Amino acid sequence: MTTLQFQENPTPTTQRPPRHHWNMVVDIDRCTSCRACVIACEAENNIPINTEDRFTQQRVNQWIRIERYWEGEFPNVKARYIPMLCQHCDNAPCEPVCPVYATYHNNEGLNVQVYNRCVGTRYCANACPYHARNFNYWEPVWPEDFRNYLNPDVTIRSRGIMEKCTFCVQRIRRATRGRQDVADGAFAPACVQACPSDALVFGDILDENSKVAKLSKNERHYMVREVLGTLPSITYLKKVEADAL
Amino acid sequence: MYYRRTVSDAQINRELLDVVFRTPVWWVVIVSILGLLVAVFMSTFGLLMNQGLGLTGLNRPVFWGFLITNFIFWVGISHAGVMISAILRLSQAEWRRPMVRAAETMTVFSLMTALLMPVMHAGRPWRIFYWVFPYDFARGIWPDVRSPLVWDPTAIITYLTSSSLFVFTALIPDFAVIRDRATGWRKAIYGALAMNWRGTPQQWKLQGIAGILLSALILPVFVSVHSIVSWDFGVSLVPGWHVSVFAPYFVIGAVLSGVSAVLTLMILMRFLFKLQNYIWEEHIDALGRLLIVVAIGWHFLFWLDIVFALWTAESVETTYWQLRLLTPPWSWLFLLFYVFSFVIPTSLWLFRKVRRSFVWMFWISILVNIGMFLERLIIIVPPLMNKDAFTFQFGTYRPSIVELIIVGGTFALVAFLLLMFGKFFPLIPLWEEKEGQRLVETVKVGNVEVPAMIKE
Amino acid sequence: MHSKGHEAAHAGEHLHGLEDMPPIMTHEEVSRDVIGRFTAVSWRYMAVMGVLALLFAIGLVAFVIRAVGGFDDTSDWGYFVATMGFLTTAFVSAPIVSAGLRFTKAHWRRPLARLAEIHGVTALLVLLMVIPALAALPDPVGRADIWFDFPSPDWFPHMWTMIAMAALALCTVALLWMHALPDLANARDHLPQGKVRRNVASFLSMGVIGTVRFWRVLYRGGLLLGALYIMMYMAVQTILSAEWSLGMVPSWKDSMFPAYQVMKGLQAGTAVVVVTMFVLRTWGGYEKYFGIDQFWSIAKPLLAFSLLWFYMWFASFITFWYGRQPSEINLIQMLFLGPWAVPFFSSMLLNFLFPLGMFIWNPIRKSIVGPTVVAAAVLLGALIDQVRVYVAPMSLNNHFGHVLAEVPVFQWPNILDIAIVVGFISGAILLFTLVAKLVPVVSIWEVGEGLRLVKVRKFHNRWVRVIAKSH
Repeated sequence: MTTLQFQENPTPTTQRPPRHHWNMVVDIDRCTSCRACVIACEAENNIPINTEDRFTQQRVNQWIRIERYWEGEFPNVKARYIPMLCQHCDNAPCEPVCPVYATYHNNEGLNVQVYNRCVGTRYCANACPYHARNFNYWEPVWPEDFRNYLNPDVTIRSRGIMEKCTFCVQRIRRATRGRQDVADGAFAPACVQACPSDALVFGDILDENSKVAKLSKNERHYMVREVLGTLPSITYLKKVEADAL
Repeated sequence: MYYRRTVSDAQINRELLDVVFRTPVWWVVIVSILGLLVAVFMSTFGLLMNQGLGLTGLNRPVFWGFLITNFIFWVGISHAGVMISAILRLSQAEWRRPMVRAAETMTVFSLMTALLMPVMHAGRPWRIFYWVFPYDFARGIWPDVRSPLVWDPTAIITYLTSSSLFVFTALIPDFAVIRDRATGWRKAIYGALAMNWRGTPQQWKLQGIAGILLSALILPVFVSVHSIVSWDFGVSLVPGWHVSVFAPYFVIGAVLSGVSAVLTLMILMRFLFKLQNYIWEEHIDALGRLLIVVAIGWHFLFWLDIVFALWTAESVETTYWQLRLLTPPWSWLFLLFYVFSFVIPTSLWLFRKVRRSFVWMFWISILVNIGMFLERLIIIVPPLMNKDAFTFQFGTYRPSIVELIIVGGTFALVAFLLLMFGKFFPLIPLWEEKEGQRLVETVKVGNVEVPAMIKE
Repeated sequence: MHSKGHEAAHAGEHLHGLEDMPPIMTHEEVSRDVIGRFTAVSWRYMAVMGVLALLFAIGLVAFVIRAVGGFDDTSDWGYFVATMGFLTTAFVSAPIVSAGLRFTKAHWRRPLARLAEIHGVTALLVLLMVIPALAALPDPVGRADIWFDFPSPDWFPHMWTMIAMAALALCTVALLWMHALPDLANARDHLPQGKVRRNVASFLSMGVIGTVRFWRVLYRGGLLLGALYIMMYMAVQTILSAEWSLGMVPSWKDSMFPAYQVMKGLQAGTAVVVVTMFVLRTWGGYEKYFGIDQFWSIAKPLLAFSLLWFYMWFASFITFWYGRQPSEINLIQMLFLGPWAVPFFSSMLLNFLFPLGMFIWNPIRKSIVGPTVVAAAVLLGALIDQVRVYVAPMSLNNHFGHVLAEVPVFQWPNILDIAIVVGFISGAILLFTLVAKLVPVVSIWEVGEGLRLVKVRKFHNRWVRVIAKSH
């Protein structure tokens, strides 16, 4: 019997050897569903304000969201939360379907969206099994006095293009530009930085001593929709059942 | 009773070129109405370009909707042209003669219309060239050939080019006929189009070879176009789209809707252009019999799709099937689609009386295409609404008025283009009819005279 | 500009344009010739029968040894099931050729319609083979099953598979019998009194006489039964491939596969007809009926089916290839690229590349040997392909579970498997030779009808055949 083995880190498309492979660990047990990550992400990444209209039209633009599921029958109902964002899959279904290479894999394990190339076919959004991709149906507008709060490091996306979580690539670039090594925890994406319960942990999986590398070997680890073989860069840690202790 | 009408060459010329030389009132009226509708359609297109896709009913997770449905629908309609002309030409079926030109022309126009849909549907249509043309435009990046969306324009533009050539090659002898009868600037234009056609044996031979060669070469293109369109869905991981039977299922469904559209068109032509001498009961009868076979083959693949989706009874598959089959309004649409596209047509087509009645066949062929439009909608939207295991992200979809206008407008556009074509060129090939008249024979079998075809 | 018809002076006379045409016989000549050959039993025929019977007996012995060994291990029964699949794919599908051509009113079908229908009788053998093959199936519980929760008795969980197969066998026998009735009546009326063959023909013909009503029922009923047969064949292929192939592999969810098998059936069924025509022509003395016209005309559908078969394979392959899910990658490994790569690529070569490479040349299509060689290659390829699609799934260790986690190794046939494959295929051929002595192998009435509709006329400066359209 032969069993097919997946390559853990497929050969990157660029020639440089990978120095980092950015990963995240989401500890569901620590998540309180406070949604600080959502707000932090919106502020950091110049995401247009999600007004009530956007919700009723089902056109909410959230790069990270907390999904809430109810489990059990009344009165024994439990609320379950799972933060969901782009999984930066190493075998991403969204990448090969784009006709113009607007989304591709860089050699640091990031699934990168190039806004300038995008023509807005939205095929990547259909292909994504995680619903992680957002489309700009309208030109983004902010209130006049809000414009000074926009993050100068992040492009404002026009209408008609896709966008999604970048693992705050602008922060990664700042922290790693011109440096060989970056200390674990020297920087973090906005959502990780904002998480009050440390449910989100970010780091370089190639660094064996990093927090992410250690946590992702935790016995509670799993990946969402692992059966699809997308090889996500985000590891989830299962909730510890209170009644099971 | 089967008989073949004998029409003289002069009569063929007179009757088929009638509208070319004389502008009937009904033509002016219908074309003006259609032109108005096309204007509305184009303005809506402009508005969509100006304002953005927010005007549509699309959302997250339903990123594709009516416009893509319409795209598939028109690509499907376009399949009839080649189905009729190439296959029937290669198999030397006599009854193809009056319908080849109309079918091929419909192919060309519906493909052009279909090509508009992805343009409207893109978020930034002005950048569409980066996607469609295999060239890097000084950006250093070529289109990604792994993407089915790159296979699409390649296949469709190939198909459009070859079917336009097909139409043109078959038109050359008729251009010459018009050239010889026209005067003034018309003579010059038709003369240029006729490319010095004199009807010499050499020219006829070349024209025949070109027809056979183009038919044989166009067949693989014909199969590949809708297969490739189906792989837009088939190769993605969306449950309900990731189905291996999609390619032949789409192709044969396209043939079903396309041949039905030819049927609609033939009957309309017979009525409008007064072609009673050329389009007979036998022709729609033959189309009806062909359609029974097509519909049953299509139905087999349709059932395979359902059975093997529910095969492992996994929740990712059952959720969208629950939506399709059990949740209104989808369950109603599904029922309508099934009854319109399969139950009513195949059961009625079994009756010779129905197959030979223009009125019945007209309405049935329209029902089939309503059903086939719904089918494409049902294939595309429910899997997006209930995608995967993330019930939190389940969505709904309702087309906006803009999408409805665009979909309706495409019908007006195709009708408009066909009528314009019918004004300037004969919709029934003169030379095919004349050739058909020459190959008729009668054979005495027992005491009955049976019409016969000459077979070499 | 109508050409004036001229009767050809006489058939057989050398005229410009008539070289390719078969000699035109009268109905009586055909009838006398076919009935004569039908009743004659040569030593060659007996020798062939003997060899086939021997091989079939060896196959049966091998089968009994297998059956004594038990039905618990599915991998033991892989080659048996593959033989069953091959018989269904190649022989049972042959009547579709005749039914389909009858629909399209192709005149060249007339001599070959009967032999295609006789091949359909193999369905009876397949029906018998289904019983042990069902016993070899693992428990449907915990596995995907084509019947879902369709109620069937506890003691016979596969009842519906059996019923479907039996219905198909019944239908093919009915199809053959119905279309043979005029010829059986002909044999009854023309054979001398007291002969056993006459009595058999008399019994089988059920005393029909050719009234107008009888012919009307025959035409209508033949078309209806043919349509029914085609649809039932689709259903049976779906069931077979779902029960013994798809259902054996966890996570193999391939809605194309039954359609692929049906297409394989059309291709192999056409090939069987071509090879049988060649055998009858060369050794059976039927060269007057199976001429260039038949071989040339049937080469076109054979080419079309080969191309369509490849298309169906490719459409399903690309879906898995692009899906790239772990289970799909394992599936591709199992079926195409891994241990079964050699059978796969040989069937690709024999069933697609070879027919395509040969048949694009008109001189090869328009010959006797060309189509025969291609058809033989197609049949060999079909056997290899059926071995791949049935033996590989049957040789899996674990048929239960959620995904295909491991790829089975290649399973070589042992001596029992070879005896079973050869024996049961010989059994199918034996059945054909036997039935060919019960009903004439060339349809006298259809050939005769065709002769009545053909006239030779002069068209410009050539002699051409004129074929009337019958209604």
